[in-house]
Formats: sequence, C-alpha cells, structure tokens
Amino acid sequence: MIRNYIKIAWRNLLKNKGYSAINIGGLAVGMAVTMLIGLWIWDELSFDKYHQNYDNIARVMQHQNFNGEIGTQFANPAVLGQQIRDKYGSDFKYVLQSSWNFQHTLAYGEKKLLKAGSFFEPGVTEMLSLKMLKGTRAGLKETNSILLSESVAKAYFGNADPMEKILKIDNKVDVKVTGVYEDLPYNTSFRDLTFIMPWDLYLAQNPWIKEMENPWGSNFTQTFAQVADNADMEKVSAKIKNVKLDVLGPEERRYKPAIFLHPMSKWHLYADFKNGLNIGGRIQYVWLFGIVGLFVLLLACINFMNLSTARSEKRAKEVGVRKAIGSTRGQLITQFFSESFLVVFFAFALSLLLVTLLLPFFNETADKKILLPWLNPVFWLMGISFSIFTGLVAGSYPALYLSSFQPVKVLKGTFRVGRFAALPRKVLVVLQFSVSIILIIGTIVVYQQIQHAKNRPVGYNRESLIYVALNEVIHSKYDALRNELKTRNVIVEMSQSTSPTTEVWNTNGGFDWEGKDPNLGVDFPNNGVSHEYGKVIGWKIKEGRDFSRELASDSLAFIMNESAVKFIGFKNPVGKILRWEGKPYKIIGVIKDMLVESPYKPIRASLFHIEREQGNIIQLKINPNLAPSDALARIENTFKKYDPATSFEFNFVDEAFARKFGDEERVGTLAAVFAVLAIFISCLGLFGLASFVAEQRTKEIGIRKVVGASVFNLWTLLSKDFVALVIIACGIAIPLAWYGMYQWLQKYDYRTDISWWIFAAAILGAMLITILTVSFQAIKAAIANPVKSLRTE
Amino acid sequence: MIKITDLEKIYRTEDIETVALNKLSFEVKEGEFVAIMGPSGCGKSTLLNILGLLDDPDGGSFVFNNEEIAHYSESKRAQIRKRNIGFVFQSFNLIDELTVFENVELPLIYLNMKASERKEKVEEVLKKMQVMHRRNHYPQQLSGGQQQRVAVARAVVNNPKLILADEPTGNLDSSNGNEVMQLLTDLNEQGTTIIMVTHSEHDARYSHRIIRLLDGQMVLENSLI
Ligand SMILES: Nc1ncnc2c1ncn2[C@@H]1O[C@H](COP(=O)(O)OP(=O)(O)OP(=O)(O)O)[C@@H](O)[C@H]1O
Ligand SMILES: [Mg+2]
Repeated sequence: MIRNYIKIAWRNLLKNKGYSAINIGGLAVGMAVTMLIGLWIWDELSFDKYHQNYDNIARVMQHQNFNGEIGTQFANPAVLGQQIRDKYGSDFKYVLQSSWNFQHTLAYGEKKLLKAGSFFEPGVTEMLSLKMLKGTRAGLKETNSILLSESVAKAYFGNADPMEKILKIDNKVDVKVTGVYEDLPYNTSFRDLTFIMPWDLYLAQNPWIKEMENPWGSNFTQTFAQVADNADMEKVSAKIKNVKLDVLGPEERRYKPAIFLHPMSKWHLYADFKNGLNIGGRIQYVWLFGIVGLFVLLLACINFMNLSTARSEKRAKEVGVRKAIGSTRGQLITQFFSESFLVVFFAFALSLLLVTLLLPFFNETADKKILLPWLNPVFWLMGISFSIFTGLVAGSYPALYLSSFQPVKVLKGTFRVGRFAALPRKVLVVLQFSVSIILIIGTIVVYQQIQHAKNRPVGYNRESLIYVALNEVIHSKYDALRNELKTRNVIVEMSQSTSPTTEVWNTNGGFDWEGKDPNLGVDFPNNGVSHEYGKVIGWKIKEGRDFSRELASDSLAFIMNESAVKFIGFKNPVGKILRWEGKPYKIIGVIKDMLVESPYKPIRASLFHIEREQGNIIQLKINPNLAPSDALARIENTFKKYDPATSFEFNFVDEAFARKFGDEERVGTLAAVFAVLAIFISCLGLFGLASFVAEQRTKEIGIRKVVGASVFNLWTLLSKDFVALVIIACGIAIPLAWYGMYQWLQKYDYRTDISWWIFAAAILGAMLITILTVSFQAIKAAIANPVKSLRTE
Repeated sequence: MIKITDLEKIYRTEDIETVALNKLSFEVKEGEFVAIMGPSGCGKSTLLNILGLLDDPDGGSFVFNNEEIAHYSESKRAQIRKRNIGFVFQSFNLIDELTVFENVELPLIYLNMKASERKEKVEEVLKKMQVMHRRNHYPQQLSGGQQQRVAVARAVVNNPKLILADEPTGNLDSSNGNEVMQLLTDLNEQGTTIIMVTHSEHDARYSHRIIRLLDGQMVLENSLI
C-alpha cells in the first residue's frame, strides 16, 4: 500500500517537473537557511559550555559612579581577589586574579612568535577544567612555569616533547613548560588564552604592584571566581557588594564601587550594561535570527501549500474519480501526505547539500567555526523531526483540503476552486511578502546605521598611520630610533602613548578644579603621550596650542577635547588650572573631539598629558610619498636593528578602526543574505502561483481577447490581484518594521534617522519584483492565441 | 464587406497535416445573413475564426471592408475586431466570475467608454434580450437559453457591423433556439451582417443564403431569397 502511494507520488512529481522543482528548491533553500540559523543559535547558546563548571564560574565586576553616571567594568584592583577570599572564602571554590590577555613574545632558541596569553592564579586549570594533554593541572605551582595550548606547543616544538623545555618571555625571563592543554574551542570566551603563566610571575615581573601606596586606587587586573558547589550565585553576588567600598578612604568612596558576579552563562549573550543594569546584548540577535529562521521556513512551507492548493483544480477530477471508485477520505489524505513527505525528503537531502556548501561562507560572515555535526544523533533527530514537522505543516492544507472535494460536483464540472478567490491563499501571499518587506527594510536600516557611524567625523587623520607595541628595549632607544626613521625620510613623525588612538586603555580619577561639585567622582580617559602625538595623528587644535619639547613646563600641562571643556564647564579653558592628584596642570590647548571608542556612543571627556616613561604604543605616520610596502620594510629593518630579539608586528590604525563595525556589519550581511533568500523564496512561490492562475484563467483570457482586450489590458488584469496583495503586505510590514528598527536603533546613542525613502524603496522594490515575476506568466498568457484556449473547453 | 479568395488553412501536428480550408472563395455583402453548413470536421469553425480575425490563414486573400488583412499583426487585427465584430459561441463562453451585467459590459470597457454610457447601453441590450431581471446573476445560475441570450447581448452591445455565430442554438432546446434565431433575424433586419454556422436545416432557413462545405471546400451555395 505504502509503495503504491509513493509510486503515485513519485509519478506526480515527475509529471509536473517545473512545479516540483519550484517546490523542492524553495523548500530546500528555506530548510537550509533554517538549519544554518539553527546551528548558529546552537553555537551561541552553547558558548563557554565547554567548561565543566560553567554554571558556577563568574567574572567579578564592579559598578562605579563616574561623572554622574554608573559605569560597569571588569578591571579590578590587583588585591580584590585576596580580599574576597579573606572575607567570603567559604562561598567560593576559587577566586582568581589574572592579568589582561595580551600578546607576548615567546622565544625558543631562534624561534620567536607573538602569542596571546595571561598570568593567572594556579586554580585556573581546575576552574576552566582544562584538558591536559601533557603534564597535570598542578602545572602553575612553580613561579617560572608555563602551560601551553596544544597549537602553541605545536608551533614551537612540532612533534617533539615540549615538557621541561625553557621558553624566554618578552626577552626577560625564562619559564619552563610544565603542561600542554587542549586548545580552547572557538566558541569560548577564553579562546585567545593560548598560554598561561603564574600570577606570581606577574607580580615578580612588576614589583611596583606590591609597592603601590594605594592598591585599591587602580583597576588594572581581572578577577574570576567559581562559587562553592552548593552556593547560590545571586546570593553570593549580593553578599560581596561592598567588599571594596568597605576598605576605601573618603576620597575614593565617592565612586561608590559595587562589586558583583557576572555569571559565565551571561558573558556572551548578556554582556551590555547601561547605568548599572544588565540590558542584554547579543541575545537580541539570537532572538532576531531565530524568528527570521522560523519565518523563512514558514515562507517555504507557505509556497508548498500555495502551489499544492493552486494545483487542486487540476487534481479535483482525480479526487472525484478516486472517490467515485471507492477511495476513502483517509486514503486520499495518506496519498497527499505521501506526496508532501516525498517533496520534503528531497528538499531535506538538498538542504543538507546546500548547508555543506554554504557553511564555510557562513562561518566567515558570522565569525564562527561551526561544523556540521554529522555524527551527532541529536542533530539527526532534530533534522528528521524538523522534516516531519515541515511535511505535516506543508502537506496538511492540501491534504485536508483536496480530500474534502465532493465527487459529484467535481465530476459534473460545477465545482470551481475560484480563480484566486480562496482567502487562505491570499493570506499566505500577504504573509510571505510582509516578511520579505520587513527583512528588506531591516537590512537597509542596519546598513544605514553602519554608514551613518562610518561617516561620523573622527577628528584625526587615519591615513598612513600604523601602531606597534612599545617594549622596554625600544623604549630605552626611543629617540635614536625616531631620529633614524625621520632622517631616512621613512616616516613623517612618530609618537608614543599609553593608549592607541582607537581604544582607551587608561582612565584616571583624582581630578579637581575650580567650581567642581565636591561629591562628584570623576574619571576621564587620560592618555599619556609624547610631544609629537598630535602631529602624528593630525588632531585639530581648536584653541591654544599643541605640546612642545621646547617648553619644560609642558610636563605639567593638559590638552583636552571639546567634550571635556563642556563637562568641566570652563568658559575660557586655555590657561586655567586642572589639579590631578593635587598637582596643578595647566590647560594649554583644546582639540576637536576625536572618535576613539565606539562609533555609536557619545565621545567621553578626555585628557592628554606628557608621559615619557610608561608608554605601551608607538604610532608612526608613514611618509605618504613612499610605497607602503617599501616604507614598512624599512621601518621593520630599523626596528630590528634596535631590537633584534622582537618580531616586528604592526597594525594599521584604519583597520583597527574598521573592526569597530564588525558586529554590526556581520548582522547587516546576515540580514541581507536572509532578505535576499526570503525574497527569492517568495518569488518562487509567486511565480508558481502566477502560472497557475494564468493557466486557470486561460479560458477567461481567451474570451476577453475575443471581445477586445489588448495584451496590456490582460497584463494589468493578471497582475493587479498580486499587486493588491503586495500593497496590503506593505501596509502590514511597514509599521512592524518601523517599530522593530526604531527599537533596535535605541541602543545606539549615535544613530541614524529612519527616513521615509527606505519605506518607499521597499514598497517599490517589492512591487517591481512582484510585477516582474508575475508579468512573465501574464504576458505569456496574454499573447497566446485565443482560438487555442477556447478550443480547450 | 467580406471577400475571400483561395483561402487556405492547414493544421500541422507532428505526424499529420490536416487541410482544414482548401482554396475557399466567396463573398458576403453588407446586410446579408449567411448560414454555413457541413458535416463535422469540414472546417466551419476554422473558417469562422479566420473571418473573425481570431486566427491567421495560411494562404489566399481576405479582404475586410476593402482592406486586405490576411497578414495583419495580432494587435492590428485586435483593433479591427473590437470595433466591428461580435461573436456568439456554441458553448456561450461567458466568464464565470463575472455577473451577467459585467459580461456584457466587457467589450465596452475595452472600447474605453464612460461608465454611465456603458450602463445605459448594457441595460438597453439586456432588456432587448429579456435578461434584464438576471443582470446580477452569475452565468452558472442561468439556464442554457438565458446564457446564450447573454452571449448574444455581449456580441451586439457595441453595435458591430458583423456578427459571427458558431452553432448559436447547438446547446438549446427548440423553443430557446427559435428565440435566439429570432433575435439574430431582428438584428439583421436592423442592418447587421450575420454569418452563422449551423447543423440545423431549420435554423438555416432564417438566413438569406446557405454555403455548404465539405473537407474545406465549398460544394454548394443556395440562395433562399
Ligand atoms: N488546432 C488544431 N490542430 C490540428 N487540427 C485541427 C485543429 N483545429 C482543427 N483541426 C482540424 O481541422 C478540421 C476542421 O476543424 P473545425 O473545427 O473547423 O471543424 P468544424 O467544421 O467546426 O466541425 P464541428 O461541426 O464538429 O464543430 C478538423 O479535421 C479538425 O480535426
Ligand atoms: Mg465547430
């Protein structure tokens, strides 16, 4: 029996090759998109789950009151971990202090590479449940030890045994390899932790940390914790709230630091804070793409249902005959479901092929390393239940609808499906186009927002600008290096600074000025730079002057941006005094605001002062008359000459700047791809439907031609129903899209307006696509010889 | 009004060639009522389609109102068609989705006539055809005779100079059939030229002249006046 059903279903597929292709193709594309989105969501939701203690791990963070607003940060004083352990030890399994995950030069003999890693307290191996391939998790107990990730170990030692080998870190200190751990997967927050050294080594390397007068005054390390097995994360978090506040003097209490635990399960998807509250983050994209995925699948199902019901008129006779010769309704339903499952089966197979082909591209666009889990039974279970679900949804309407035809009516010929009158079909087309139009509008708004932010004035010149990490060797020979590069005409100028121009690495409090509210705790980005910094980046002096090497008094001087002038409230800032940690600094100049941090946020009040001792970054303005590759080669040579032990690695400032748009651009690209696919699927459906309508109306078209209709008359006649539906879809989609995009834009302080032309473009686009799709069939029907169509009666 | 000379129509399918019209020649004057008769498959409908400018001849000449139109393009033929010719089909060929009124109104819409004027004309002709009381019904809700009267109404509503009727009574009983024949006769008396295909000797007697076809050729022409 089943075989018979499948045989007939198969014949039906073959008989209508065009429609079968549209059906299977459309459904396969829809399924492929849903599958990709499903894999993406799975990857997002399983972020960090690699760690066995996932549920108990947290980052210790703090809210502080800065400049009248609550800011949230993960930079903590280096003594915070010890303090928490001392006071609340029983609530935690581990409280671990760590450095930032930075690049360091690791040297083994002649082999020198820059690798990213951290200094961590030893419990990290247990906390992160590292899988040790060599050595044990006790490997960080000795001060001069290092644990390598598998890939770093491979890079240095190939297949040789790395254990007990000695590496030199940053040309300063020797460490012994005491273990190798499996690389942390790409979908973990610690994926860039490619080696780990003991925290004690960090302290030994930076003796100033232990000698700090006020260890609670600077936030420059991170703290991670694993709560005790039976502890409630939220309660523990509330408990430790005042652990820092309680030890502070009156001066620093103004910042009202509140310590809290941010659980690992929220690191990735709920990373954003606004005024002390967690406001989500990537989770909104998970929702967004989840909904899009469901809708795309729905669109594909709608096509399937639409095409099948449209074909029902042709098959009505078959149903009538089958019923007349004794087929029950149940048997007919089985027959139609067999057909729908056959289509779904082919579509599923095709979609697997599509996903396999598209995954590399998708991974690249989405910044993922997702693999198709061929061997995972859960994947298959989901894939198959998902197909069954699709088959049921897609097949139910035609199956139940077709099987309900009354045989007498069908056979006597009085049965009519009604050309296009069936309300459900109209609703489905409207739904389809609403989704497509929403996606079109969404894509345009995302791109506009990115463009808007890209066009934001940056206030300095990124051209021919590169930056290099500044180490101690270079630092000691800074002036000689600068002179040589300048006299050789390779660069225009070079400067050192504590932060690059595309990020803020350093903020300071402890400022005072005439008229300041004594209760206001302030904290400004405060870049310590060499005198030529402004010349290198080409900032724009609005008032006053730039730093000068000639004036020794500039060692106690600030240049500030316009936002700082506004915040502090000076009328004529140049010449005024700003006290920092009690010392009087003279304001010598005001620069135009520079875009340093997020292109979507307001620019912070920022300061610049002369600092020659503690630089992190060298920035160089390359001579624009040289070919960049040539200039870079010469710069590298010169650096090598002064510091042969370090490999020369540089970044272009404009590339670093462009990375600020990464997230939004990814969302934009994905949205665009989904929009195109949704439109493609909708068009397939429309095309199929239009051809059915044209076919059903052949006789009518013939009659109309006989009584005088022109091709144009008929084209309008056949297109206008569809156009009307698309207009209704626009009416539904536009308010929804407007509302959705308005909400999305609210999270950006610097945002574009949603202009009317976007909607006009979406309507026009949808209309054009509809007319083009429908016209093909309409014109074909309209120019057909009427004699033929009337003969078919 | 119509003059055809050596008119040919050949249908070619993959394996057979059917000569539907074989060097057919005759003339129809303005105001005539001509019946075309012959056995099934002799080419009557084919001829009517060509005379009605729905189809192309494969050879010969076709002069309509002193114009040689055998090789006119479809759009040009459509222009002539919608101003001069009305059709009545054996199977009515009404549009099921439109009401009686809308069906009859259709040719006027394609002539770009104003709505008020259309209403007037349609109602006038519906009254004449005695289907005015059915104006808001759909074709499926009418009897065969009523449907055929609506079809005639649609054919005459734009006052064509020529009416082509393909077995207008074929699907009707004799009383309905006579009614339709009477309608055509009335129209003819008012000056409309009529060419009608029929199998019924009885109906043919309403005409002025009978052209008899066999295998695409004229075999006899007898005048009834
Ligand atoms: N599209 C076509 N393709 C092939 N042959 C055709 C086609 N149309 C008509 N014919 C053939 O041409 C011949 C004439 O057909 P036509 O329809 O004109 O006959 P008729 O005289 O109207 O017959 P009836 O009285 O049965 O309606 C027939 O042999 C028919 O089979
Ligand atoms: Mg015929």
